Parts: sequence; structure tokens; C-alpha cells
Amino acid sequence: MRIPARFTAVAVGLSLALLPALPALNPTALSAVGLIPAQAEVQKPVLRIGAIPDQNPEKLNRLYGLVANELSQQLGVTVKYVPVTDYSAAVSAFRTGNLDVVWFGGLTGVQATLLKPGARMIAQRDIDAQFYSVFIANTASGLKPIRNVKGLSELKGKRFTFGSESSTSGRLMPQYFLSQAGVKLSDFAGGAPGFSGSHDATIALVQSGAYQAGAVNEQVWKSNLRNGKVNRAKVQVIWRTSPYPDYLWLAQPNLDQSFGKGFTTKLAKAIISWRASDPEQKQILTLFGAQQFTKVNGAEYKQIEQVGRQIGKIR
Amino acid sequence: MPALVLIPVLLVLPQLIHGGGWELVGQFAMAAVQPSLDPVVIQSVISGLGTTVSMALLGWAGSMVLGVGLGIASSRTVWRAVLGHGAPAELIRKLLAIPRSIHELLWGLLLLQLVGLEPVVAVVAIAIPFGALVARVVSDLIDALPTGNLNALRAAGAPAGPALVTALGPPLLPQLLSYSSYRLECALRSATLLGVFGLGGLGTELRLTLQSLNFKELWSGLWVLLAAMVLLETLLGWLRHRWSMPNRFTKKAMVSGRQGQELVALGAALIPLLVWIAQGQQIDPGALLHWQPLPPIGPPHWAELAGLNWPSLVGNTIVLTGLAAALAVGGAPLLLLLVAAWPLGKLLVRGIWLLARLWPPPLTALLLLFVLKPGVPTAALALGFHNLGILGRLLLECAETADRAPEQALISGGTGPSIALLYGRFSSLARPYLAYGAYRADVILRESVVVGLVGATGLGSQLLEALSSFAWDQLLALVAVYAALTLLGEDLSDRARHQLLETAHGDDQSQEVGGAWR
Repeated sequence: MRIPARFTAVAVGLSLALLPALPALNPTALSAVGLIPAQAEVQKPVLRIGAIPDQNPEKLNRLYGLVANELSQQLGVTVKYVPVTDYSAAVSAFRTGNLDVVWFGGLTGVQATLLKPGARMIAQRDIDAQFYSVFIANTASGLKPIRNVKGLSELKGKRFTFGSESSTSGRLMPQYFLSQAGVKLSDFAGGAPGFSGSHDATIALVQSGAYQAGAVNEQVWKSNLRNGKVNRAKVQVIWRTSPYPDYLWLAQPNLDQSFGKGFTTKLAKAIISWRASDPEQKQILTLFGAQQFTKVNGAEYKQIEQVGRQIGKIR
Repeated sequence: MPALVLIPVLLVLPQLIHGGGWELVGQFAMAAVQPSLDPVVIQSVISGLGTTVSMALLGWAGSMVLGVGLGIASSRTVWRAVLGHGAPAELIRKLLAIPRSIHELLWGLLLLQLVGLEPVVAVVAIAIPFGALVARVVSDLIDALPTGNLNALRAAGAPAGPALVTALGPPLLPQLLSYSSYRLECALRSATLLGVFGLGGLGTELRLTLQSLNFKELWSGLWVLLAAMVLLETLLGWLRHRWSMPNRFTKKAMVSGRQGQELVALGAALIPLLVWIAQGQQIDPGALLHWQPLPPIGPPHWAELAGLNWPSLVGNTIVLTGLAAALAVGGAPLLLLLVAAWPLGKLLVRGIWLLARLWPPPLTALLLLFVLKPGVPTAALALGFHNLGILGRLLLECAETADRAPEQALISGGTGPSIALLYGRFSSLARPYLAYGAYRADVILRESVVVGLVGATGLGSQLLEALSSFAWDQLLALVAVYAALTLLGEDLSDRARHQLLETAHGDDQSQEVGGAWR
């Protein structure tokens, strides 16, 4: 008995010890977790793009994989997508310089701009200047569609979930509209709302009945409807908010220094040039739920900053 | 006795249940038996585990080096031998209480802001608080050793250094090794937890798959983690047994001869292994020196800070800690008693405890939200469940090695097996177990930050909110209050432990139990 036991233990020990070496053989897997900083800084700069994780990771991987390919072709530099786990991690990674260009929401975009003075808002979607959230409810909850913002007071005492804490369309603006209807966060069942983490998760949780209602980004809601992910017998829209500005591409202030003069402008032009007539670009635009990208008017985001300060998410 | 606390918890439970998400819980349970076997998923799970194990190993190694060094530096015996006075030891001890009082998650999140997303962050986040904890245990162990040999050597004219090593080294080593092997298990759990909050590795995968309700992929990760945990626990248990290290109550023969050689060989093999792992993971300690410029920090908003509902934040945190501790401390012996008469039951309980240790508390909390309302009791359930798994295992290990004579006597006298277990075996373990429970409560207080995801649960949730608002002033204030609370709790639990142990055993043993049961 002693010997086999010893052999097993040695084998166990060896396999455990060797395990960490596996990623060493497979650096792409590791960098997918966002742990390897761009290695090629010395030889040739790599453009690291990121995005707030507002949808399911597999969807993000597909979309930003395509974006990285497209930008790499257009700009002639290596482009790499680095996923992050939550919204504030994306802001932190942008501030600490681990990400060069990031697809932010309105709130996270403003947070990042304030934390990294000189950051440049380079593009937004055609839908972002006038963006909407929808409040959704489980059909078994007894919640009916409402006519105006005051109707949101029906949500008092219900189990309610936002998306991420730092989501513009899944938390900030919904909370703003809720406060207009006199609903405080402590009015929900259990004394607090849930934070599902992403819009896809909110839809799934409300549909399952784990929460009776929630607030989601209208574009993600529509794309879930189109893909047949929504069971209309179980979950329905009860209200569409009024419009507000949302997502944008934000670039580091120093890209021109590392990638050459005029690079930031070139990057912005490349993104804005995407059209549905090109098959790859069409795929990207469809996944973004947009016809095309446009220039950003930074002043629009003052409204977001104001609401952010009011709610305490911007300091 | 502590199990009595279960009654009020059971009473509030019906009000908590909303049952909306049973369908999801069903899907989650079903997925356990049909995890995703997609090669892409398996590959990312394995590489995630590799990252997590590396962080754990390196963080653990760092904490041991730090801990032994600082432990020696904060030992009264050592200072007395060198300087003739123990005062510097007290000072160092007090200073070390601060890094210890801050949970590794907070270290991780704070370092992340300073150095950015570098792999070295997770390693250092584990090494700092663990190191300070090891230092405390090491100094306690050294100071509890009989000083007869040391005094004799000193009297014979040996210089302080060699005398200390000769007199204290050999009796210290087995206890230190035993303790360090438990720390390695803790490090694996911590590395997973750090991942859940975005520092990479398997924890990150688990969080992302749970958030997208992708239960089959979630279970691929959980099963792999389970395998790694069982392997590690078995291997370390086997090593402890082989090298006859103290099993928390008994003192056995010291390491010598062949065991000693094996130990040296293992130690020698560990160093190149660690270096190799660090290279494989591209861990660059130099990254720690490249501080990112701090964000523009405005003047603190004093009014807003004072406006936070501090009494309720602190109160909720304490209630959360108390509930979770009671659940864990009371639940473990209760479960064992309930299934004592049923042989399969023990296996079942072991299985449940294994899962409890396996699931990081924030994941359990998110799962509980499918059927329970958010709030303090839900968070306490998640935290209590995790610690139940840890406490239960220690209880079982000790119960198995405890003296069975009284229990046998009771059984042959016609008593039922549960009662015999209770009066025969548990009664002798009760005091050290409760003493350990007091220590565990202390750990739970520190850990309460990790279930902040469940909403309105005190300092933890406010802290995560402050972090996502980049409210540095609030963040610092909250960390400070947390640290103060932990230090207070540590003091209380120390007193409770001493009282429990000193009335039961001789002074010497109480020190050992107090030290090694951490």
C-alpha cells in the first residue's frame, strides 16, 4: 500500500507543479485573460483595444476579434483585443495605460476622460447620440406597460435588477428616471437592487423570474429579440426611456507618440469609414447594431456627467 | 450550542425566499452532470487553472519568506536573546497588524490601481496579508517554545545567532511546515477569489460563465478546480503524515534522517520550480516599481463622507459576520451529528463541505440570489457556507485522530451513535474547536468584503460601489474603518480564544493549538 500511495502522491505533485507551465506554451490563451501586457512594446507597438463587458463574453470575443482584424488591415499595425471582467476594470485599465483604445459606455467614458486628462473621444455609433433604455418585466410579475415616467413607481417592492454598476443604459439613466418617479434604490424588494453584470444577464434573469423586472440597453434588447433569445411569453417591455447620449470610442492621449504622427486621426477615420457595403465591415456594424460610426460631439456627454455626479458615480 | 443560532436563521429564511429562479437552479444542478467538454472550453479552463495555481504558489512562497523573516523579527524570545529586551518585538507586531487586517482582495484592487493589470499584482496581493499572518504565527510559535535549551547554550557562552538556531530551529520546523502546508491550501482559494474579481485565472472564467448563465461551461471550470483542490489537499495531507508533522493537537517525533533529506530535496526543487513558473506567467517583479501616475484626486468631500450611514454600514457588517460565523461554527458539528448513524451520510457531508470550500463566496451569493432576496442574511449564508466547508474539514480531521475510548465506552453502554459521538468525542474537542471558531469569526469579518456583490450588506458593498465610482476619499475611509474593525475583532477573538483554551489545558498546549489552528 505504501508504494502505490507514494507514487500517486508524487504523480499528483508533479502534475500540479507542471500545470502552471501550460500557459507558457500557449501565450495567446493567457493574453486572452488579459494578463499579459503587450509584449512587443520594445520591437513594434501593438494597439490594444478593449471594451466594457456589456454583453456575453462569447459575443464580445467574436465582435472585437473582427474589429481587431479590420483595424489591423486598415492601419497596418498589430491590433489585439484584451477582454476585461467588469466596467470599472476597463476604466482602470485605460487609466493605467494597459488599453489603448476602448469602447466605453457614456458613464465609463466620462469617468475615463476625467481620470485620464487629454483622452480623445474619437467615434460613436449613429444611434449613440440618441440612445434609449427599456424597462422589462417578467409576465408573471403582474407589471403592465406604463405610459410615462411616473408609472415607474409601480416597481416599488418588486425584485429589480440593473446591469453593471457602471452601466449608462443599464444603471445610470434608469436610476435617474426611477428617481424622477420617486423610486429610491432601497424601495426594491430586499432593500436593494441587483446588479446582474451585463445586459444579456439582465434579460436572462428577468425572463427566468429570478428578478421581476430590470432595465436594459434597447439595442441589446432588440438584438436578443432578433436572435430569438427572448421568450415573449415570459418577458415584455413595460417602458422606453427618453433619449440620452451613450457609447463612444475613447483613445489614449499619447497614441501619436507611440504609433506615429496623425495616428489618432487615422484611427478615427478608419472607424468612421466602415460601411455595410464591405462584407467584413457589415458584420461588425450588424454586431454593433448600427448603420455606421460618426464623429463625437464631446459636449453631449455633459448631461451624462451631470447625472453621474447627481447619483454619485462621478466625483 | 452555537448551533442554536441556526434557529433565527431558519425563521427568517421563509421571508427571504422568492423562489423566482428555481428553474435556473435546476439548470445549474443539471449542468453539474453534463459539463461542457468542448476542447476550446477545456483548454481555457486548464490554462486558467494554470494561472491560478501559479499565483497561489508564488503568493504562498512569498508569504512564507516574508512571514518567517518578519516572524523572527517580531519574536520576543529572539529579541531577548539578541538585545536582552523584548520591546522591539512588540512594536513590530503592532505594525504587522495593519497589513494583516486588510483582506487580500482589497490589496489586489488597490495594487491594481497603482501598477495596472500586471500578473504580479495577484501574487503580491496574496503575499502581503498572508505574510503578516504567517509572521504572527511564527512569532507565537517561537515564543511558546521552552527556552531551557536556549538559556543553557547562552550560559555556556554560545553567541546569540547560532544559539537561537540550534535551540529553536529543530522544534520549530515541523510546526512551521505543517502550518505552511495549510497556508498553501488557503492560497489556492484566495487566488481563485482574486480571479473572480478580475485578476485573471480560473476565477475570472467562473465569474464570466456564471454571469452569462452558461452553467455547463461553469461546471467544466468547477470540476477542474475541484480536482486540483482535492489533489492538493491529499498531497499535503500525505506529506504531513509522512513527515509526522503535528496534527494540530499532538506533538510527534521531529524530522530526522531520510525525512530530513527529502525535505531538503523538496525545498531545493521548489526554488527553480518557482522561478520557472514566474517566467512562464511573465511575472515581472519590476512592474511593481513602475507606478502609474495617480489620477487627479480632488479634495475629499467631507460632507459626503460624513453623510454615509456609518452606524448601519458597521452594524450590518457585524451582523453579517456574526451570522456567518454562527452558521459555520454551529453547522459543522451539527451536520456531523445528524448523519453519525448513517455511514453514507458522512460521505455526503464531506462532499458538501468540499463543494463549500470550492465555490468562492461571491459565486455562491450570486447563485443564492436566484431564489433569495438580496440582503444581509443572504450574504451571510454564502459566507457561512464557504467557511463551513473549511471548519468542517478541520473538525473531521481532528475528530478522527481524537481519543475514541470514551465514545466506545458509551456505545457499549447502549448509547446511540450520535449521542456517543457528541459526549464521547466532541466534548473533548469542544474547547479547541470553539477557540478555532473564534479565530474563524475574525477571518469572516475580513472576508465580508467579498460578498459585497449581494447588495446593501454593509462596508463591503459600499466599498465596491466606491471603487466603481472612483471615489478615492470614500475608498480610503472605508478601508480604514474595515481595518480598525478587524483589529478590534482580532483582539476580541484573541481574548475569547485564550479564555477558552487556558481554562481547559496547560499553557503550553493552548499556545500550540492557537498557533497551528489558524
